[in-house]
Amino acid sequence: MSTAALHAEHEAHHHHKESFISKYVFSMDHKMISKQFLITGIIMGMIGMIMSLLFRLQLAWPDDQFSIIETLLGKWGVDGKLDPNFYMGLVTIHGTIMVFYVLTAGLSGTFSNLLIPLQVGARDMASPFMNMLSYWFFFMSSVVLLISVGVETGPASGGWTVYPPLSALDKAMPGSGLGMTLWLVAIILFIVSSLLGGINYISTVLNQRTKGMSMNRLPLTIWAFFFTAVLGLLSFPVLLGAGLFLIFDRSFGTSFYLSDIYLEGVGALENIGGSPVLYQHLFWFLGHPEVYIILMPALGITSEVISCNARKPIFGYTAMVISLLGIAFLSFIVWGHHMFITGMNPFLGSVFMILTLIIAVPSAVKAFNYITTLWKGNLRFTPAMLFSIGLVSFFISGGLTGIYLGNAALDIQMHDSYFVVAHFHLVMGSAAIFGMFAGIYQWFPRMYGRMMNNTLGYFHFWITFICAYLVFFPMHFMGLAGVPRRYYQFTLVEQFDVWVDVNKLITVAAIVAGAAQLLFLYNFFVSIFRGKKSPQNPWGANTLEWSAPIDVRLHGNWPGDLPTVYRGPYEYSRPDREEDFFPQYVPDESAPEVLEPEKAKSAPAEKEVEEESSVFFAAIKRVFGLG
Amino acid sequence: MTITLNRVLRNSLSKKVLTAFSLILAPVFAMAADVVEPPQEFNPSAWDWSTLLTLALMLLVILVIARAFDIGSLTEKISGKRLVSPHKINGWVAIIFLVLGLIGVWYEMVYHGKYVLLNDAASEHGAVYDSMFMWTFGFTFVVFIITEVLLFYFMFRYSYDENRKALYYFHNNKLEVIWTVVPAIVLTFLVLRGFNTWSKITSADNEDAQEIEVFAYQFGWKARYAGADNKFGDNSFTFISGSNPLGLAVEGSVDELSQSLTDEIAGLEALIASADDSAAVWSARLKNFEAQGRQRAYPEEYKKIREMAMDAESGAYVRGLEKEIKRKSTNIKRIAKFRADQNMFNKAAYDDKVVTEIVLVKNQPYVFKFRARDVIHSAYMPEFRAQMNCVPGMSTQFAFTPIKTTDEARAEKGNPEYDYFLYCNKICGAAHYNMKIKITVVENQAQYETWLAQQAPVVAPVEAPAVEADPATDTTSQATPSVALN
Ligand code: HEM
Ligand SMILES: [Cu+2]
Ligand SMILES: [Cu+2]
Repeated sequence: MSTAALHAEHEAHHHHKESFISKYVFSMDHKMISKQFLITGIIMGMIGMIMSLLFRLQLAWPDDQFSIIETLLGKWGVDGKLDPNFYMGLVTIHGTIMVFYVLTAGLSGTFSNLLIPLQVGARDMASPFMNMLSYWFFFMSSVVLLISVGVETGPASGGWTVYPPLSALDKAMPGSGLGMTLWLVAIILFIVSSLLGGINYISTVLNQRTKGMSMNRLPLTIWAFFFTAVLGLLSFPVLLGAGLFLIFDRSFGTSFYLSDIYLEGVGALENIGGSPVLYQHLFWFLGHPEVYIILMPALGITSEVISCNARKPIFGYTAMVISLLGIAFLSFIVWGHHMFITGMNPFLGSVFMILTLIIAVPSAVKAFNYITTLWKGNLRFTPAMLFSIGLVSFFISGGLTGIYLGNAALDIQMHDSYFVVAHFHLVMGSAAIFGMFAGIYQWFPRMYGRMMNNTLGYFHFWITFICAYLVFFPMHFMGLAGVPRRYYQFTLVEQFDVWVDVNKLITVAAIVAGAAQLLFLYNFFVSIFRGKKSPQNPWGANTLEWSAPIDVRLHGNWPGDLPTVYRGPYEYSRPDREEDFFPQYVPDESAPEVLEPEKAKSAPAEKEVEEESSVFFAAIKRVFGLG
Repeated sequence: MTITLNRVLRNSLSKKVLTAFSLILAPVFAMAADVVEPPQEFNPSAWDWSTLLTLALMLLVILVIARAFDIGSLTEKISGKRLVSPHKINGWVAIIFLVLGLIGVWYEMVYHGKYVLLNDAASEHGAVYDSMFMWTFGFTFVVFIITEVLLFYFMFRYSYDENRKALYYFHNNKLEVIWTVVPAIVLTFLVLRGFNTWSKITSADNEDAQEIEVFAYQFGWKARYAGADNKFGDNSFTFISGSNPLGLAVEGSVDELSQSLTDEIAGLEALIASADDSAAVWSARLKNFEAQGRQRAYPEEYKKIREMAMDAESGAYVRGLEKEIKRKSTNIKRIAKFRADQNMFNKAAYDDKVVTEIVLVKNQPYVFKFRARDVIHSAYMPEFRAQMNCVPGMSTQFAFTPIKTTDEARAEKGNPEYDYFLYCNKICGAAHYNMKIKITVVENQAQYETWLAQQAPVVAPVEAPAVEADPATDTTSQATPSVALN
């Protein structure tokens, strides 16, 4: 296609070929859909964060009154004191928003959508229409969830895991009324969205790769998104089942989860024969893979960003893929570590303990490989790079405490204590959020054709990083001292008095971290309109997305033919090259024989790199039936 | 490449934004400076000099750093040479963060580490537990320090230098095998030890263990001791009533419940019979209310009346009553079925003692049997390294032996007020945070027996059929959790 043709395409909407609605609202362009996911995710993230600040105020100053609480919450904050029921509601919705809306849809939805077609060399997703539906289901789900916060009896308040019977009986707590119904509706819409997206991601990766893009030349981002989609596809339907049973129990008098219950103010219920523990099995069969659904895309983004900004090949590509595969597989058979003390058979507990600790091995391999990639690299500290390194730090700090919690014996004491809050906020919350920020800073130019401001990015990173540790590190000690989680206030127990000051420190750090996000918001939204124009390949990256024109964002990605791929994505700092990168789409004009002899030796030909891992990939291809 | 980066850095806007940012943060820093004694009200005019000074200092630091970036890039523009590389700055910040971070970790371990429950377990298996913890801590702490130090050191050591090229290095099979196998071995060790510890704790099946039933409900705990016959009376959730909170098999109370349910059903049926009248009454009331134009002034009442009128009209009112009748008659039927069972109503429950404090004897093995009335709760006894969920419809248990009396713990802590508690540790509703029961460990059997003798049995031994239990001692009540706070 000529430049003129390009221009014509760019101008298309001026000529009413593409209306505003079809371009910006019901768009089927994966790039636009990815932005929709991102913006929605950022808004939900802000709401989730503000909720956490509100209940953090309560934890830090339980005896004080804050007029802002009354202003914001009305009847739930009479006299500036947060109502205990609404505290539970805030915690629940905060968790739900962060886990599902920000770190599942916001993270995976944004970057799978943006990067899968661009990095495998496809014009769009396998089914752009389903892709659009996926976003709009997510959007509806977000709206329903937010509405549920405003209903008269309050939002769902049984914790983000919504264990029955608490969540099944509207007389057990106010939040289990209409708020809980809306929560379930929202989650079901969410599951639909996630399934529509997942099917698309998988089929695009498997079928739409451009010429030369064999599976072993896929960037690790794509591998991560691929495994994530597989996990989602296999586990979300189970949550759907769990949710439907819960709906039946709530509204149609069944007894899947209910048995032998007497409720104050009602009397003995009719339900017998159900088991509340059944719900927990179903929930965690999704719930555990879910934490990897959250984390894996962040790890994939980190692999890409670290390699690119260290100007160095990612260390151990094959090991990285195998460990992703290992984690993905094992994550389906460890759910019982959330249930060691539900009274399940101790022998079963032992089995889950062994499987859980096995999963630590591939995770350790990943951490070591990241660190080795930095070794003797040439590290460019863009904000994206800093956030990726931050992720590795959190992944280590939070991952190590998983070794305590995965141990059934140790979990007796630590289960549901603040130690757990510290653990999952570091390894899942902070790490994945940092992966998301890394992705935003790295691919902002790809999305908007402009650059974000680096200085603001640095401040955003360091303030957030330090504050995240200040918030979550002390929580380990609280947990080890026996402080339970989901407590509205601690001052009724004398033993916990020593934590009063710590709670204040945590809240102040959380507020500072929250304020630092304003820097990000400013940077993000202003850069969309006023940022410097981005060069075609601002980071000197190797992957395909930077070969598609960056100043005009075409629906179809590339004008003319799709690019051809000549090598793997991590050819950085090749000794035989002048430049320190060698994009996948650039043909090798200097074939090895033309080179001087010693250079030819130190630079392995593409062939060799490919062959090293071919046994493994041959196996993968066989398994997935790929040609 | 580098040129683009420099250009991106050079943006004076960032300074303005950072200034605005510091101003926004000012009140937060004020709070931080005041952490020990929080301001009752947000009142900047009351800030003293030290607060303001802290604020000014913070502001200055941020501005200076921002300035450094700006000057750096400005000089670069003029001289065409790179002076302050942002990569070098970030490398330095990483090292500073590492050093301060490690100091912080050390400080936390010294300062807050002393509150961690370790080496002072009040139960026999606690020592096993604590040693498992220490092994895990040992390994993970070493890994934590090594990896985090390497990470930040590499940030500093290998920060960007135009004249250097990174090592073109894809993998090293030997290295990768090593760091797969070593963690695998360490984890195998931890798994085996964990397996051992877990089996020891969960299989503590002692013939002499005394059983205590621990009963959880929204929002409180009750404990039941078997009484003189050393046998627990049977129970069912269908027997629960205000006077029989644990649902024990006591004829008098159960028959009474059955009778009152029957009466209630009769009452409900009467309501259904008069439903048409009441619908008329409600709709008349509604009309009246609206006619007088009072809906503005009394929105709450109006809403209630309208709801009642609508329910009556749509039949929801009657359906609700019918459902209640069905529930109550099921309850009656179930009671009748159990009532015929002589084994169940064998009077074993009569001498059981339902109490609101748990008293244990040092060195005596116990099995706690847990029951929950309404939703899931969790019995959490951190000092005893013990926890187990309490699940409606399911019986769970935890066995342990206390080895330290309350008095000993008090002496150790230097706190004469110190007490052991069993907390609720599974979210269960608004007053979850205040759902606890005291555990007292006494030195010898005699003390325990004295205490037990003072507790009333479920049914007083001499003739009287009256059911005795103490529902009045709930620590909280569902409807008004705030009352319990005081
Ligand atoms: C602004 C930063 C954040 C702060 C200050 C914060 C703080 C908290 C606190 C204090 C709790 C309540 C703990 C309890 O009582 O059980 C909580 C719960 C939770 N948070 Fe966060 N959090 C933050 C960000 C995140 C992120 C990024 C995630 C993403 C995974 C997350 C996920 C959760 C979840 C899943 C829960 C559990 C909710 C429940 O108990 O049902 N949070 N958070
Ligand atoms: Cu898990
Ligand atoms: Cu409870």
